[in-house]
Amino acid sequence: MKTVSAPPVVRPTSLPAPIRWAQMRYRHRHAFEAWIILTPILLYYLIFAIIPVIANVAISFTRWNGISAAPVWIGLSNYARYLKPPYPLIVLNTTFFAVTILLVQTLIAFFIALLLNEKLAGRGAYRALWYIPTLTSAAIMAQLVNVFTAPYGGVINNILQSMGRPLVIFTISGFWMRSVIIVFSIWRGVGGPVVLFLAALQGINPEIQEAAMVDGAGGWARIRSITLPLLRPMMVFVLVTGVIGAFQIFEAVQLISKGGPFNQTNVMLNQIYNDAFVNSNFGVATAGATIMGLILLAASYVVLRSMREEQG
Amino acid sequence: MNVRKPLSQRVTLHTILILGSIVMAFPLVFAAAASLTTQADFIRSPWFPKPTPTLLNYRVLLFSADKFPRWVFNTLVRIVWFIVLPATVAVLCGYVFARLRFRGRSLAFGILLGSMLVPGIVYQVPLFVMLARWPLAGGNNLLGQGGSGFINHWPALLLPGIVNVYYIFLLRQTFTTIPSDYEEAARLDGANTFQILTRVYLPMLVPVLMVLVIFQSVNLWNDYVWPLISVSANPQVWPIGLGLQRVMAGAVPVPGLQGFNQPFIFTVATVSMVPTILLFLFFQRYFLEGVQGFGVKG
Repeated sequence: MKTVSAPPVVRPTSLPAPIRWAQMRYRHRHAFEAWIILTPILLYYLIFAIIPVIANVAISFTRWNGISAAPVWIGLSNYARYLKPPYPLIVLNTTFFAVTILLVQTLIAFFIALLLNEKLAGRGAYRALWYIPTLTSAAIMAQLVNVFTAPYGGVINNILQSMGRPLVIFTISGFWMRSVIIVFSIWRGVGGPVVLFLAALQGINPEIQEAAMVDGAGGWARIRSITLPLLRPMMVFVLVTGVIGAFQIFEAVQLISKGGPFNQTNVMLNQIYNDAFVNSNFGVATAGATIMGLILLAASYVVLRSMREEQG
Repeated sequence: MNVRKPLSQRVTLHTILILGSIVMAFPLVFAAAASLTTQADFIRSPWFPKPTPTLLNYRVLLFSADKFPRWVFNTLVRIVWFIVLPATVAVLCGYVFARLRFRGRSLAFGILLGSMLVPGIVYQVPLFVMLARWPLAGGNNLLGQGGSGFINHWPALLLPGIVNVYYIFLLRQTFTTIPSDYEEAARLDGANTFQILTRVYLPMLVPVLMVLVIFQSVNLWNDYVWPLISVSANPQVWPIGLGLQRVMAGAVPVPGLQGFNQPFIFTVATVSMVPTILLFLFFQRYFLEGVQGFGVKG
């Protein structure tokens, strides 16, 4: 990387102070300007990003309602809560949603990107259509899902009724609520990976594909031995950012199922929100947030390692 | 590949893509169509709403829901604030990390980047506490006790989020692709760093700043979780994302709305999604660049 080089150092013998000061400023221009700019920004960052993380861990060892002056130190009790029902189920649900949504969504996105990579009329329009759900508000759209799945007068049950079929009460069925949340999340999330995969595919030199075709490699063989290896960096990026996003599923659960029925669809973020802002139990909430952070670190590590191992 | 695919293959491809696109677009088209009907007509055609058509629902939402203009205004204020400040920070930091050599550079950059792995909720709960206990604000004493601090007030919506690491990274990457010859030439002509940033670099950074403008606009228009945590008791300062969700959930009384009205709920959803989709259609290039910015360059 080229940078502006510092001027040669000339040691003055005796110059008046203002000029010496100006010279020093000029000689150390880089460090001088860098810290003038960075100091306020890092200070802000300390207050609004670093202290909250430290505070989160500190509060997680206490019992505190967020209002009283003194949090009470209770050691690891809040973390122990995560071993008692319903918390293990909530962690399990979160993992189930994250893995299912991430895998299905990535597969669909990869497949659609492969199709869109062909020279087709209207390719840009298809790509736009697949990306548009991502632009909508998760909260508004999740709220809208309720109009479709409402037990009485919901769009789906209106259709069933018009066909003379029995109504389905979606809200009391763990299976249906899980399915609705998964389908909704994939619908809203698949557009980003489609755009990313398509960009990576278009970066592959077409001559490599043509050479393989001349050598008689079929479509599937070309995907396996050319496209997939060349797409690995993008695959890693999509899976790592995807796993971080997928574990943080919130609006879909909070607004579609509220975690019900009986915590069968409850997830960590929803529980942390409820612990803090509904039950005023900041100790348990921050313990959950810390566990969430650790799970995400572990999950990104697992994804990175498995991708590296596969490479051999 | 220069050879066109045979017709049968192209037909299959288009069929799959069209079916997929219908699935993706269906909820949005359904919502838009349903927003133009009355409740009676909506129930009469269960498979797909046949527009009556009526603009009654839009009139109720846009004119008689008294808070609606307020929420739009609040959102616009946040959009301007969270474009100007994070863009300034990102340009300055991008320049510092890409162009200047100084001790502690990689440490400072590493500290900033480290936060990208930390999930939002780890900040949000302590931030709520911090804003609620802010000394001498909202009835608090010097120790932060006695009142509710900045909670349910504007500072809670404006203070967090000014330093955005994603954009700092994006700008640093962009600076490294610009040759430093321009800067050296300007320095020989006697320009200082401020002049170089505003006169030399800023015009070159317009495309990447457009990415920032557009992503911030969409994110803030849709913002829901942080306003829900920090200002949910004060509808006066709500941004549109929280306000419209509350209207759909029936948590806010809407004058002029009669009884059970599903088309009205679809109207609210349509009003929420149309601006972001229009922005996308007009500035698609920048959207795609922004989505790819990290994946390709990073």
